[in-house]
Amino acid sequence: MEHRDKILVGIVTNPASGRDIRRLVSCASLFPTSEKVSMATRVIAALGAFGVDEVFLMPDHSGIAGGVLRAVRSHAARATDRWPEVRFIFQEVEQTANDTRRAVRAMLAKGVRTIVVLGGDGTHRVVASECGSIPLVTLSTGTNNVFPDLREATVAGMAAALCATGRIDHKSICRRNKRLNVCLGDRCEIALVDVAISRSRYVGSRAVWEPDDLSEIFVTFAEPDAVGLSSIAGLMRPTGRDVAEGCHVRLDSQSPEQWLCAPIGPGLICVWPVREVVALPPGVITKIGLKRGTVALDGEREIEFGPDEFPLVWLDREGPLTVDVRRTLDLAAGEGLLRKRANTSLAKNPS
Amino acid sequence: MTTELNKQSLQNAYLIMRRIREFEERLHVEFATGEIPGFVHLYAGEEASATGVIMHLRSEDYLASTHRGHGHCIAKGLDVRTMMAEIYGKKPGICGGKGGSMHVADLHLGMLGANGIVGGGGPLICGAALAAKVKRTDNVAVCFFGDGASNQGTILESLNLASVWRLPAIFVAENNGYAEATAARWSVATGNIADRAAAFDMPGAIVDGHDFFAVYEAAGEAIDRARAGGGPSLIEVKVNRYFGHFEGDQQTYRGVDEVKKIRETKDCLMLFRQRVTKQGLLTGEELDLIDDQVRAEIEEAVAFAKAAPKPQASDLLTDVYVAYA
Repeated sequence: MEHRDKILVGIVTNPASGRDIRRLVSCASLFPTSEKVSMATRVIAALGAFGVDEVFLMPDHSGIAGGVLRAVRSHAARATDRWPEVRFIFQEVEQTANDTRRAVRAMLAKGVRTIVVLGGDGTHRVVASECGSIPLVTLSTGTNNVFPDLREATVAGMAAALCATGRIDHKSICRRNKRLNVCLGDRCEIALVDVAISRSRYVGSRAVWEPDDLSEIFVTFAEPDAVGLSSIAGLMRPTGRDVAEGCHVRLDSQSPEQWLCAPIGPGLICVWPVREVVALPPGVITKIGLKRGTVALDGEREIEFGPDEFPLVWLDREGPLTVDVRRTLDLAAGEGLLRKRANTSLAKNPS
Repeated sequence: MTTELNKQSLQNAYLIMRRIREFEERLHVEFATGEIPGFVHLYAGEEASATGVIMHLRSEDYLASTHRGHGHCIAKGLDVRTMMAEIYGKKPGICGGKGGSMHVADLHLGMLGANGIVGGGGPLICGAALAAKVKRTDNVAVCFFGDGASNQGTILESLNLASVWRLPAIFVAENNGYAEATAARWSVATGNIADRAAAFDMPGAIVDGHDFFAVYEAAGEAIDRARAGGGPSLIEVKVNRYFGHFEGDQQTYRGVDEVKKIRETKDCLMLFRQRVTKQGLLTGEELDLIDDQVRAEIEEAVAFAKAAPKPQASDLLTDVYVAYA
């Protein structure tokens, strides 16, 4: 009997996404735990159907891990199709982003070949800071996300399986993303979509939504149909994910060059005092001159800086690898990878 | 954003949080002497929640609290001397020494009371908020409740009532992770209490209860919304309590060093001090002065309570009925 290594996939589900203050300040909807459980379960079903042996999830205190476990047990009791073994990373739950960081490191140590991420831009940012060259399949469960895909979890699971099993070459389906780097003293962080400099002095409830608070925004890419901070650049100077440069927006309510209507959140359209919008070449370091404030990473205030501190921001192309789900399934369809003989089990003969 | 507090407001926020902490830590010590009757449930560790929410309230706004209510009472402006006397069961207590820890109230300040009934505050604020709406004031009513109460029918019915009547009501779920000794992750079906807001057609948000500024911002938005006629909201504040469910609880259900680690890394007073001093908005010396002031204040409150007389037998027959004149 031919021996092969087990094919392992990680799933990261952020229990906190989709519940921040934007439910109060905009028309953002709440993304409940039950839907995250359901999405993770659909991913697992697809991973099992297409040859993945084991799935690792992170533990949490919000009921996602428990819900998935119930779904797996329920499936085992009644179904005949094959699901992968579902295991949990053993770690203490801090209920902070550090849970995600440690879980991703543990998944890498286990040997996962792909990680499916359920969360918002912020969740993907945290995973990206730890995942190295392991490809990510992105799924949006947060608020006004730009980086992850908004799509059916089953299909994302299929693409993740095709990627993890190597049935489709990574090179033809994975994109290397841009990222923004922010350093303040010894602390260095990344952002996948935008870095905003806020006059707000505290991280507080994290979200950013008031035009007067912001002085400048850096973006890796800017799509005109996006919602959130990057929409300002997207509506002035659209910048694709695959071009080398990013975009730099300066805001100035005292002497704006123009005023721009842009959607900062679901149902929340603000008028932005735009001073200038210019290209942001890779490697060029910008020193932030604001006397004190906060740096928002992917729409969430994360770093507070005082009067004698000057954050540095620059763009590079060392962001995470992400799987193009549509292209993966396109190639799979073209190569007939999903066809089966009549009455054959998906599970027992995945190839 | 609502975080841009001036120096005076920052000092006030720290003063309230420090006052609550000192009050509770002193009670923790005094309760062990056996002089305090009844049960005491301490609020230490959760100060940023009460302070961040209640700093937005006026005295005409109503507040319903819980069995763990000292912090809410202090933040609403109740006098710590008469509160302490109340907890000691003494006649000068804020309720004549008849209520004790779980029934501290002051209607003149809109404080509907701590409450011995788990989940008892929800219906109270529906009534208070309905009164505000009918009278066409822009007053609001706030109810604090815990993760245990989040599963009580009273709270779920109140959420429903507040929603269908579009009441100026704010429901603040202080999820400290344990309903007595039962972990919330075992007993709250949706994992997050805020998730339930969607079922009642109101906004729900989660905030970090160790961060005063996070609570202050979220509460400010919810309260402004309610004052403007936007209806109720549900805010889940993730917090930790430093002491047991009640004084004497051995907390065998908590992890080894769980509280110690939280105190070292997430303490709301420590985080507040770090932030405002780093930003150059307050100095360490200014905060130390507040610490000294509060320490003396609580010392005096305890001395007052201990020296105060107990109610007499004749007091049993007073305050039995309420006149609605």
